[in-house]
Amino acid sequence: MRIGPGRGYRCSACCISFFLFYCNLFLPGDLQAHAQDLPYLEEVLGRARIQRLHEDRYWHVLMHYEKNMFGVKSRIDDPKFFLAPDGKTNPASELDATIRAFFAPAEDASTSPVCRFAARYEWISQRLNLDPARLPVAGCTPFRDFMDRLKPESATLVFPMAHLNSPASMYGHTLIIVEAAKASKLLAHSISYSAVTGETFGPAFAVKSMIGLYPGYFSVLPYYAKLQEYSDVDHRDIWEYPLNLSEAEIRRMMLHVHELDSIASDYYFFDENCSFLLFTLLEAARPTVALTEKVHGWVIPLDSIRMIRDQGLVSDAVYRPSRTTKIRHLASCLPENGQDWALELATSDTGDSPSADRTLSLREQRMTLDLASEYLQYLYTKDEVPVETYQGRLLRILQARSRLGTSPEDEIPKIQPPVQPDRGHRSNRVAFGLGYAGDSWFSEFRIRPAYHHLMDSDDGYVEGAHLVFADVILRYHARDDKVMLEGLDLIDICSLSPRDRFFHPVSWKITTGFTRVERGGEERPMVYEVNPGVGLSMKTETLGLLYVMAEAGLLAGGVLEDNYSAGAGGSAGFVRSFHGFCKLHGSVRDLYYGLGDGFNAFEASLQQSFFLGPDRSVSLGIARRKTDSCYHTEATLMGNLFF
Amino acid sequence: MKRFMAAAALVVFLALPATVCLAGQSNTGCGLGSVIFKGQEGLLFQVLAVTTNGTFGNQTFGITSGTLNCAQPSRFASNERINTYVSENMDNLANDIARGQGEYLNTLAVLMDVPEGSRTAFYTTLQGNFSRIYTSSSVTSTDVVRNIEALM
Repeated sequence: MRIGPGRGYRCSACCISFFLFYCNLFLPGDLQAHAQDLPYLEEVLGRARIQRLHEDRYWHVLMHYEKNMFGVKSRIDDPKFFLAPDGKTNPASELDATIRAFFAPAEDASTSPVCRFAARYEWISQRLNLDPARLPVAGCTPFRDFMDRLKPESATLVFPMAHLNSPASMYGHTLIIVEAAKASKLLAHSISYSAVTGETFGPAFAVKSMIGLYPGYFSVLPYYAKLQEYSDVDHRDIWEYPLNLSEAEIRRMMLHVHELDSIASDYYFFDENCSFLLFTLLEAARPTVALTEKVHGWVIPLDSIRMIRDQGLVSDAVYRPSRTTKIRHLASCLPENGQDWALELATSDTGDSPSADRTLSLREQRMTLDLASEYLQYLYTKDEVPVETYQGRLLRILQARSRLGTSPEDEIPKIQPPVQPDRGHRSNRVAFGLGYAGDSWFSEFRIRPAYHHLMDSDDGYVEGAHLVFADVILRYHARDDKVMLEGLDLIDICSLSPRDRFFHPVSWKITTGFTRVERGGEERPMVYEVNPGVGLSMKTETLGLLYVMAEAGLLAGGVLEDNYSAGAGGSAGFVRSFHGFCKLHGSVRDLYYGLGDGFNAFEASLQQSFFLGPDRSVSLGIARRKTDSCYHTEATLMGNLFF
Repeated sequence: MKRFMAAAALVVFLALPATVCLAGQSNTGCGLGSVIFKGQEGLLFQVLAVTTNGTFGNQTFGITSGTLNCAQPSRFASNERINTYVSENMDNLANDIARGQGEYLNTLAVLMDVPEGSRTAFYTTLQGNFSRIYTSSSVTSTDVVRNIEALM
């Protein structure tokens, strides 16, 4: 629908590349007057005023009006969206101007306001019982064509989970797909809202998207294109939540999508993002749905699914595993020699087909070749195989596979879907608890707005992924009757992505924020810390995820000699989950600060969480720390609530 | 909140080496491997790309191969949807044809109006004739549609 600069994509199958240009609504008065049915216009305007139509909630939904101190203001920033000069803030004058526009003579029906603002037209004409015969334009061919192509009869909310080895992508994305009856899901069309920019400098993009400097647009693409993006290239598992919208409701939603075509609204990463804009579509579909008014501050795509669920629009979801998940699953069903065959077939052009291996059953041979082709495609998306090699190798594997016939039903065990994302813990967390450090007791309070801690239950999340924003830790020390800020983790990301025969990801972490350090005195001074790390992890039966990391540490603060300390060291540990009931994390970490204020910090810690339902847990922590030659022990017991 | 988070994000960017390399997309026509787009490597890229939900550089999936440079097969020439679908799903469709089953193959049957009752036979025929459909590693989507058509 919208083609951004320099991105070169084609709206091929959907072909709704109707670029509707703003028509010349304000023709000179004398030109308009002779063709207009003025008495009828006045009558209609009168009816609208009597009905106080501009106060109707649906008018506010269609116009994206939001209440503020002075009245209302539309969230849409594109002036093309409004027909009255003060339409952004004045629902009455916008309604008036809209009705007048429907009566204005139009040179071309497809660019007329009736067509351009098809959702408003349908609603207004229904509410005011307009007689199409007395209007210059009676219908909208581009919208009819659009619907003919898409034939939407059912709609689904789609949520791609975290990107492989990238906990930050847990934040996620949501889109809606619409399907024609009896067609394949692959042929559905996805409706997705995102920022559009030619910006290629990542940090600039990230910051600008957070403060609303980019326009956001809806785009419509075939669902298979989205699946290639998420499932095949990004390796994200996808959840599909069927929306219980009727055909009439889907039609209203599509009218609104059509109306928003090439209309910009400033994209804000935290609130006016993809999920928020989908809320507006759902409100346009079903007027009783109230979602946008429930957003305060920010909306995380995963939370948006819960909100949509709470409005009764979705319940159960269908799991669509990514290519990576399929590869892991196939490998887990094969003996070692089968896995080795698959690896060899995908990575070299020598060797025989696995049918040469008499120890593999026909079933295993089929799975070996399936694994080989999936893995080769994975390697290709990772740019590890040149295209010519890829094409030849893929063909060779698939030719061998085609000779082995079709797998009977249930030959390959089904992938067990994990816990549905909306059934995992909520993303805000508060924690209260008690602790003992040095020789005194303290009480602790923690609060964080997002998102998932390594020690939280993995139900609905990706194992080994940790993403925490703005975790505030306050401590009250009874001894000196003082509340102190113990720490503030601005951003804390950790990705423990296990390596195996097929995947060799690098595990990594980055923590930054304010923390307290032991520097000998009574008071533990606060410093600013940046602590990145990189390493490896693997999955074991007994200890769960094992990891080692090389770490660097940078501390800055007035209390340090030369105002800083910089050093390096390492950490190692394990994270073991016990049947979703509890989790154990043991770790050691040793850092030598050689530059600036030099010292050595060693820590051994053991943390345990017990899960009491999705939104409650209790965690226990004990840590022994050594700073130069001083030892400290700290123990905490916390109760966590997710909301 | 927005400003605070923006500041927090800045801190992370400063903490990491601020280089982002965006590789160009490959566009190899209408053969195998033409519509699979390369993932991005690099941790920084991942953090940036996936936290922002944006469409900069390669993050946006672009269908650049398509049928633009491909000749039209005869019988299905009028059926733009089949040609587009095959050219844009070359690799996944080849997977399914070799296996004799799968969502991409079902979708082809839907597009080609193969009645439900004849689908199993259709799938078996395609699987059995894999090498006639995918005649070489440089086979194009046009060839594929034409070769399937010849088997029907």
